[in-house]
Amino acid sequence: MRGLRLLGLVGLLAFAAAAFTPLANRLNAWMAGEARLEPSDAIVVFGRGGADSDGILTNRSLRRVLRGVDLYRDGLAPLLVLSGSPEETRARGNLARGLGMPAAAVVSAAPAYTTREEAEAVRRLLIPLSRRTILLVADPIDMPRARALMERAGFVVRPAPTAATGPSQPEARLGLCRDILIELSAWAYYRLTGAL
Amino acid sequence: MLSLALVFIVVLTSAGAFVIAQRGIGLRGAALPSAVMQALECLGLAVLFLLGNLAVGFVLVLALRPLTGRFVSVYILNDATLPILSLVQALVLHCWRARSK
Repeated sequence: MRGLRLLGLVGLLAFAAAAFTPLANRLNAWMAGEARLEPSDAIVVFGRGGADSDGILTNRSLRRVLRGVDLYRDGLAPLLVLSGSPEETRARGNLARGLGMPAAAVVSAAPAYTTREEAEAVRRLLIPLSRRTILLVADPIDMPRARALMERAGFVVRPAPTAATGPSQPEARLGLCRDILIELSAWAYYRLTGAL
Repeated sequence: MLSLALVFIVVLTSAGAFVIAQRGIGLRGAALPSAVMQALECLGLAVLFLLGNLAVGFVLVLALRPLTGRFVSVYILNDATLPILSLVQALVLHCWRARSK
């Protein structure tokens, strides 16, 4: 029973730290690293969360594609590459074109459902075109794993995280902490399976 | 800082509940520490259930991929309802244990 009480206390303290302190924000900024917004061969926007059956993108997927369009408008690369599930890339492509991007500048990689598959799909698309230097758009917490995979696939990666500070509301901070834990588990899983 | 307003509200209602429990309902103040300990036990159980749910969910997702030939995302476990359901599981087990004594 003493062990259970200790576990309960640890759970309660972890909850308080996650919700009511800037811990999640600090971790978020740390995982994002420093953005390197320099001219590149392509802007690669990884998928995140897919799209609903009615084609509505998740918040994070939407943020990423908007960031990609922004980078294109800043003239940092001539090509926007979208990866992820077919539904997600379709919805994002429609959005990018709807925002005024020329159709020829928006390319969808082959369907991919995991970050590892996305890296492979983008490699098959860009390396034969000799486009090796990329601006990688991902959430701050996803950047270390996504970047490592793309570097391993042969790219020179310039990180362009979507945002680095994170939320300030307790519920959103809890959500971010949950995402960080899942991302760290994914990192460990990729290390164990030799993907990284 | 605004987020601490929630903590302030909870502290305020807890203090109110303490006064009402002692003066209105007649609960003994001396029993409060052991009640807190019991609540911590229940929370500990909830943490165990949550870890168990995550572990079982992770294994199931990985097993379903080759079995069904379809991609099932691990992100389905990233849902706010899971901690709540784990807490419900812990509450039921805790009450059951108390009733069985």
